[in-house]
Amino acid sequence: MQTVKMVISGAVNSGKTEFIKTISEIEVVSTERRASDDTKLIKKETTVAMDFGRIAISKDLVLHLFGTPGQKRFDFMWEILSEGMLGLVILVDSTRPETFRETNRIIDFFISYRDTPYVVAANKQDRPNAWSPDELRLALRQPPHVKVIPCVAIDRESVKNTLLELLYVILDRSAEG
Amino acid sequence: MALVGNIQDFGLSDFLYLVDRGYKTGCLHLKRGNDAAVLFFEKGKLVFASQGTGGQKGDLLVQLGKITPQQLEQARQLQSHNGNGMSLSQALVSGNIISQEELQQSLQTHIEEAVVYGLFGWPDGEFRFEHGQKPEADTPVMPVPVPVEHLIMEGVRRIDEWGRIKDRIPSTDMIVRFVDQPGEKAKGVKLAPEEWRVFARINGKDTLAMIAQKTNLSDFDVCRVVYGFATAGLVEVVKKPTAPRGAADVPRVKRSLVSRIISRIEKM
Ligand SMILES: Nc1nc2c(ncn2[C@@H]2O[C@H](COP(=O)(O)OP(=O)(O)OP(=O)(O)O)[C@@H](O)[C@H]2O)c(=O)[nH]1
Ligand SMILES: [Mg+2]
Repeated sequence: MQTVKMVISGAVNSGKTEFIKTISEIEVVSTERRASDDTKLIKKETTVAMDFGRIAISKDLVLHLFGTPGQKRFDFMWEILSEGMLGLVILVDSTRPETFRETNRIIDFFISYRDTPYVVAANKQDRPNAWSPDELRLALRQPPHVKVIPCVAIDRESVKNTLLELLYVILDRSAEG
Repeated sequence: MALVGNIQDFGLSDFLYLVDRGYKTGCLHLKRGNDAAVLFFEKGKLVFASQGTGGQKGDLLVQLGKITPQQLEQARQLQSHNGNGMSLSQALVSGNIISQEELQQSLQTHIEEAVVYGLFGWPDGEFRFEHGQKPEADTPVMPVPVPVEHLIMEGVRRIDEWGRIKDRIPSTDMIVRFVDQPGEKAKGVKLAPEEWRVFARINGKDTLAMIAQKTNLSDFDVCRVVYGFATAGLVEVVKKPTAPRGAADVPRVKRSLVSRIISRIEKM
């Protein structure tokens, strides 16, 4: 049995748990806790450690989805989770510009570590006051070759589309065989 | 739909960059306590700005001593004869009340120095950008819209603490290089002598610390200047390439494997 891994990252409350829940075939193994420290101001439940979801590709191939914890004090998990990943989805809460700098910090972390294929998902596009993907690209200063995809993590088609867009980036970089 | 946020988290200079690169038309409303300001943009360039809750209109030019109240009235009448299409500034110029150069010069000086530069000093404040909102007909817009790059540079000259700079330049051990196509951008920027000194040292190899040494400027000054260049989109600040470790430890995945995952997810 071969397993491959994708990582779903992003600032606190960007929608990582929701994204994985929407597409995973198993009940998401999440470690939600009542939020402590600063996070409490934003939401009641937050992910500590990580989220884990799974999609069976075939009898002998499984795709694992790992969501990184949002809170800063779990940063050490990122490196462990990113080990051997196929690609990365960076979720951004498009309605909260106060998280854009943190989002950049997360992108920098993963990208400077190794040249991982990634896409930015402009999440919560169903909300009023969501910044458009084009506006997010400028706000996050992402170069033209990085895809910034409109996303609604509570909508299955939208999550599928985001994963597929990432897979096309991975496909472009893949080796023959 | 409006873009909303706080300039504490998403700074005014970041916003100007967005307006410029996004080629935006609309009005940025800023609010801080009892103070307020509006900035109008047309296709990414600044056409008017005013501070205060009242919102200055045509009488601004009277206050600036550029025209008399009678001349203002004359221009307004000319406007109403011409229907809605004519702006106050167009009426002033076509009515030979003031030359376009003089109008531009006095408005631009006032807007930049009395309004916009001061706004860079706001540590916080709510912003709301209304797409497509245009100035009212009685607003004395600048005949020639002003590119935002040099506003950004001027705003950055007013930064006196590390906080904001650290966001983009976390260490002086980083390298500065020109972006691939600054194109027209460099033209809009008017550099001060010490900024030129830094500009001339950017070569895509030297770190900020090295530039500071070579120019005899402090680390802070160099970082502040480079922060301005970066915010205006002229240069980028990148990490020094480390020992090659990236490529080797990411085995390239096989095309057939990726294709299998794609077809599975397409069918979900
Ligand atoms: N309207 C809307 N709400 C969303 C969307 N995605 C997530 N949410 C909501 O946003 C909140 C945060 O989502 P989570 O999935 O818990 O975010 P997270 O990234 O896992 O957060 P942490 O684990 O705390 O870092 C929840 O209330 C979600 O239901 C979306 O696309 N649209
Ligand atoms: Mg979560």
